[in-house]
Amino acid sequence: MIEALLLYLFAASALVAAALMLVLQHPMRVALALVAVMLSLAGVYALLGVHVIAVFQVLIYVGAVMVFIVYAIMLLDVRELSVRRFSAWLVPGIAGLLVFLAIVAHGIWHDLPEPSAAAAGTRFNLNEFSRAFLSEYWLHFELTSVLLVAAIVAALAVLRVGRRPHG
Amino acid sequence: MSHAQSLMVALPLAGFLLNGLGGNVLGKRFVSFVGCGLPIIAFGVALQCLADLTAREGTPLVETAYAWTIIGGRSFEIAFYFDRLTAVMALIVTGVGSLIHIYSMGYMKDDASYARYFAYLNLFLFFMLMLVLGKSLLVLFVGWEGVGLASYLLIGFWFEDADKARAGKKAFITNRIGDAGFLLGMFVLFEAFGTLDMDVINGAFLGGPISAVSASLVGILLFIGATGKSAQIPLHVWLPDAMAGPTPVSALIHAATMVTAGVYLVARMSGIYLHAAEASAIVAAIGATTALFAATIAIVQTDIKKVLAYSTISQLGFMFVALGVGAYGVAIFHLYTHAFFKACLFLGAGSVIHALGGEQDIRKMGGLARKIPVTFATFAVATAAIAGLPPLAGFFSKDEILWFAFASSRGGSPLLYGVAAGTALLTSFYMFRLLWLTFFGASRMTPEAARHVHESPMPMTGVLVVLAVLSAIGGFLPVPHYLEPLLPLPPVPPELQHVETTLVFVSVALALAGLVGVVLVYGGTGERAARLGRNFPLLHRVLFGKYFVDEAYDRLITRPLYWISDRVFLRLGDQRILDGSLNGLAALGQRGAALLSRIQTGSLHLYALLVVVGIVASLAWSWRHG
Amino acid sequence: MLIAVAMALFALGLLGVIVRRNMLVMLMCMELMLNGVNLSLVTFAQQTASAAGAVLVLLVFVVATAEIAIAIPIVLLLVRRKHVMDLGAYADLKG
Repeated sequence: MIEALLLYLFAASALVAAALMLVLQHPMRVALALVAVMLSLAGVYALLGVHVIAVFQVLIYVGAVMVFIVYAIMLLDVRELSVRRFSAWLVPGIAGLLVFLAIVAHGIWHDLPEPSAAAAGTRFNLNEFSRAFLSEYWLHFELTSVLLVAAIVAALAVLRVGRRPHG
Repeated sequence: MSHAQSLMVALPLAGFLLNGLGGNVLGKRFVSFVGCGLPIIAFGVALQCLADLTAREGTPLVETAYAWTIIGGRSFEIAFYFDRLTAVMALIVTGVGSLIHIYSMGYMKDDASYARYFAYLNLFLFFMLMLVLGKSLLVLFVGWEGVGLASYLLIGFWFEDADKARAGKKAFITNRIGDAGFLLGMFVLFEAFGTLDMDVINGAFLGGPISAVSASLVGILLFIGATGKSAQIPLHVWLPDAMAGPTPVSALIHAATMVTAGVYLVARMSGIYLHAAEASAIVAAIGATTALFAATIAIVQTDIKKVLAYSTISQLGFMFVALGVGAYGVAIFHLYTHAFFKACLFLGAGSVIHALGGEQDIRKMGGLARKIPVTFATFAVATAAIAGLPPLAGFFSKDEILWFAFASSRGGSPLLYGVAAGTALLTSFYMFRLLWLTFFGASRMTPEAARHVHESPMPMTGVLVVLAVLSAIGGFLPVPHYLEPLLPLPPVPPELQHVETTLVFVSVALALAGLVGVVLVYGGTGERAARLGRNFPLLHRVLFGKYFVDEAYDRLITRPLYWISDRVFLRLGDQRILDGSLNGLAALGQRGAALLSRIQTGSLHLYALLVVVGIVASLAWSWRHG
Repeated sequence: MLIAVAMALFALGLLGVIVRRNMLVMLMCMELMLNGVNLSLVTFAQQTASAAGAVLVLLVFVVATAEIAIAIPIVLLLVRRKHVMDLGAYADLKG
């Protein structure tokens, strides 16, 4: 019972924070709102039983990605507070999104898979998860490591490009 | 099967190739030798063929040179056919042709394009021989077109002068208009008989008119071709302008041989015309009208060659009159005598022009009789021949024509005779006028011309003498009688038989009347002529302006065609529609691209929005049709 | 219910990309989108007891990290050029 309540709480907080993200003006505040979203989601994951994912969410997303973004915001000294928040496409954007939501909702609601009764009771098993990674999804694992290497090389390249005008 | 005819045709072709390709390199002597020698050999071959023909008592010599193609079971060959009619034509073409080649040696001696001239002349001879020797209408047509081409090349021989080039173009185009009729006639014949062999077609008509094809229709269509080639109304306009070419060309092509091709065609297809009363009537009517028309123009012309050109048109009209009343052999007879005296007249005119250093206006001549005696003598003989004074050649042939124009039961009538006789009178008048103004009376020459006057060199005068002799005695050769087995003379109603001798005397009287008339009008100081000219200014203007036919054609046909070509086809069709549509397509592409590139504003927000729109659209579509 | 939340998060993220002008804020909205996707994946994984969902989530983490690692430096370089963080100034690829 309490789990259900907590679930609703965390879900609601995620939504509120996300809505705030769109409205707040200062980028730092937006970043903090995003952190709030992510932490709420981590809570949801934990309540759903996938603790590993929850931990990774906090570690990677909040700990690395958001920190990086905050660093960037601090680096780029934002003085232009008078800059308008919203682009020219505000109204069309909202309209488009509403239509999008409507269509997706209409589509999804008819195709939702039935939650299998047997699965509802199954808890997330870390052993099985790790084993699956190294047996069935080993190719994806390797590819992601390649992707990380590529990202490192790209970051270095960007560094060089950034250095050259001054170097 | 002997190859004599193929040889006869091939000799001038060889001359064309040799002179055309190598003449400039190999020098004038080579060109003269080849250019004149080969036609003379061809003449010899023609004589040989004649001998063969006589030995076979007139059965034709047939030779197939080359099987051109077989289409759907029907074969088309290059085949030659030598019968009595061909014999007469071939001898004239090669004989008079050779004489004129020899004359050209002297006349064109100082011309820079000597080799080209003889090449073209040989080319002409080749095509003309193909025309007369052809067994089928196809070969004849090849020759027909070819002589048209040679005529164009030779009229515009001095093409640097734009007027002369234009004259050549006019000749060719006018010919082509006639050829359209000729082609239609050939199509009708082929449709009906499945072959174009002339002897087969003539033979098919032997038994009487055929229901499958209207003989008159074919007759008229073929005659249209003949009017183009033989300069009859309404396609006569090219012949006077063709005098822009060198004088030997005028003599050969536009007097003796090419223009007679139309006469030859009708005579050859006599089998059809015997059964085509309406077509024959039209032939005779147009022939008579043209003869009178041209004669009236000739009496006021002042250029020596133009007078002779209109005289040719008139004489050709006579030949067509004979053909129209069924006297085919007589027409060929007149063709044959005309070749002699007209060639002699033209070459004589050339000699006069040469003597005066290029002067062609007879108002600036006069008193030349003593100065260039040989030319004068030959010219006088030929003039008498054309006027019809006995016993010269022209008298015999013209008299026969007049007789049959009056008496033939296939279309002869007093009206036709009247027109023809009137033309004969005018012929005598203008020819003697020409003779008088050129050779007699006081000299009206410019001083430079007077100093320049000299008799022409041997090649020229020699040929003139030969032709004059032929004009004198040529009439004694009984050509119509020779051709009778092939081309029967038309029947004459018995009650008119006795009129024949009377008409002979009338002919002589007409010729003499012309002579007397000239003496009266132009004799003495020529004052009476000038007064006549002043008394009838309008008539004089119309006649001098050739009845303004050229101007009428220009106004009625040429200018509207130009207008249509310019306004409709060029501006509207080509520029606006074709170019416009192409440019319009390109412009459309450009404008469409410009319109579409408005989407690329560079704003990421817009791109993101468009992504959303795209997703929405594809989802909606897949869920509607999924 | 959670699916709806995931959808809402995704939609809000997308709206943010269209609507906000600041480049860093746009990046953060893209992260929000990814989070929404992650939530839906986890929900499905838990409901159908398939390991594939969780695996995919981890992969999405990696990809998101790599993406941010490159995107931020790009933004830095851009801002160094024009000294403006407003996306409206970067319409150089117009037309």
